[in-house]
Amino acid sequence: MIFQELFHQVPFNVAVIDRDYNIVEANRNFTEYFGDWKNKKCYAVYKKLKKPCKDCPSVEVFKKGKPIVADAVGIDQQGRKTHYVGHIFPMRIKKGGRVEYALEMTRTVTETDRWQQEYQILFDRVPCYITVIGEDYRIVRANEAFRNNFGDVLGQHCYKVYKRRKNKCPNCPAAKTFRDGRVHHSTQLGMGKRGQDIHYAVSTSPLMRGSDSVAHVIEISNDITALKKLEHEVIEAERLGAVGQTVAGLAHSIKNILMGLEGGKYIVSLGLDKNDKEMINEGWEMLERNFEKTTSLVKDFLSFSKGRLPKLKMIKPDLLVQEIVDLYKDIASQSGIKLESVIDDNIKRAPLDPDGIHTCLTNLVSNAIDACLMGEQKGTEVIIKVSEGQNKLIFEVSDNGSGIDYEIKKKIFTTFFTTKGGEGTGLGLLTTRKIVQEHGGKILVDSQKGSGARFRMEFPRKRLTELYKKAKE
Amino acid sequence: MAENAKKTVLVVDDEADVRNFLKAALIEAGFNVILAEDGNIALDQVKKQIPDLISLDLVMPQKSGAKFYRELSKNKEWKKIPVIIVTGHARDDLGKSDLKELTMSGPGIYLEKPVKPANYIAAIKKILGMDTTEEEKETAEMVELQNDLKNIIDDADPETLKKLKELMNNKKK
Repeated sequence: MIFQELFHQVPFNVAVIDRDYNIVEANRNFTEYFGDWKNKKCYAVYKKLKKPCKDCPSVEVFKKGKPIVADAVGIDQQGRKTHYVGHIFPMRIKKGGRVEYALEMTRTVTETDRWQQEYQILFDRVPCYITVIGEDYRIVRANEAFRNNFGDVLGQHCYKVYKRRKNKCPNCPAAKTFRDGRVHHSTQLGMGKRGQDIHYAVSTSPLMRGSDSVAHVIEISNDITALKKLEHEVIEAERLGAVGQTVAGLAHSIKNILMGLEGGKYIVSLGLDKNDKEMINEGWEMLERNFEKTTSLVKDFLSFSKGRLPKLKMIKPDLLVQEIVDLYKDIASQSGIKLESVIDDNIKRAPLDPDGIHTCLTNLVSNAIDACLMGEQKGTEVIIKVSEGQNKLIFEVSDNGSGIDYEIKKKIFTTFFTTKGGEGTGLGLLTTRKIVQEHGGKILVDSQKGSGARFRMEFPRKRLTELYKKAKE
Repeated sequence: MAENAKKTVLVVDDEADVRNFLKAALIEAGFNVILAEDGNIALDQVKKQIPDLISLDLVMPQKSGAKFYRELSKNKEWKKIPVIIVTGHARDDLGKSDLKELTMSGPGIYLEKPVKPANYIAAIKKILGMDTTEEEKETAEMVELQNDLKNIIDDADPETLKKLKELMNNKKK
């Protein structure tokens, strides 16, 4: 009775056939799936055929007496095509006798098959490259997009396919995923099957064996070649724009100096006409001042045009901040300005150009002090802060001085803009921005007139590391 | 200058050298001079005493020339004060749009730094309708013509520029 129930309950379609293809017994599942079977041949029930199938697996079982697994396509009782996999076992009446019956346990796989096909299509057609690589870095699967660009590459080493390398790439994200089982991202330059450059952003994700070891890594890459090209064009356009701005700015600075020289000359000659010594002196000083301005303009200009790559050294950012505080402490306190540094506890060392960052901080702090002097309020202070943001090293210089007018804010990073009358060359913030950009960072300003200003230099750690690596190569 | 009652000019510029230079030239020509180093101070000066003319720089800290001019325009009395612009930013991004706004709405004359004292004084006298010597008249007219030409050249297409150049070269010969 129990066996009878078991026979009906197993999640398989079970049928027993004799050597003449007659179905002699079948369970409930089978009946529900293929319909009535009594007094019918197996081929009529499974496949609605009139004669035995050419490649009947049960014939094999009868002949060889060993169980086999086979798959086949049949038709269910609603007339739908159905894929199924069958385990067929030989049954003997007498031990050692001939096989009298075949026990066929089949399970339909139609749904699974459909899913498989869908996944295959998805896998092939998604607009990115997908590969699965094994621990030996050989590609075990690759989707169509990948094959189209890199060729048919199953079994080859990924580094050979992606980059034509003979050995593993340094800084391989897949290696990291094999090591720590986590997702990693990076951008890489590869070579297509026609030898063309392919820039791609790759993410690697683990396929686990059991719960603790990574058996395979899936690499999903997006082609960013077009994006890189655009980026390059934008940089080039910006560079040309900057050259134009620089020339215009230079002309303006020279015009200002000429105006001062013109004035000096005029006042000296007036003084000479009138025999007014005081006037001659005044004019002469004006001439001297403007000659001096020419010198400092040339100096600033040269330092602005100096070298393109920062000289990176591993340094402690907080030491730089301390240096600046020491440098400006006296000047600030003489003017009644409090100068303070705020340093986060978790500041890590970073590859920076010490001279460059020193220049940036000097510019920002001296601007902040000037802003404090310009405003009329008391209790002014300048704060230099260094902190770690989201994968970024951040320097901040803030003051509660006169603040920056909105209109001026639009112009502060443009060439030669100065609000300091004759005192500045207008190159300080421009040079600062240039140095920050050369470090792969950016500078932001937050200010409202009358309520101080905050300049923030952000350096993405990743870019610093990349630059550092490049510099060492 | 004795026949002219002494006129007062307010010189607004953030650079001390420029202020002192223009002041010397104006005093030499018989003007009273008031100085201001930005728009805010200039506004205070105007409140104290309405000048006969304002000599205005465009790009300055605190309050720019354009902002100062907008404030002037809001007041009926102040609106009438003639303004001459003396700027180094006439043709760059920092001053161009401001200058356009100002020349459209009011002061017609601007001088580009570096200015020569004679040109400066001649232009101011012309605006104020003061008696001028023949020489000054000529200079003022020349400054105006030069300004007109500069504007034409700034807006000209390449073809016109070529013709203009040919024309001027021929004249030289």
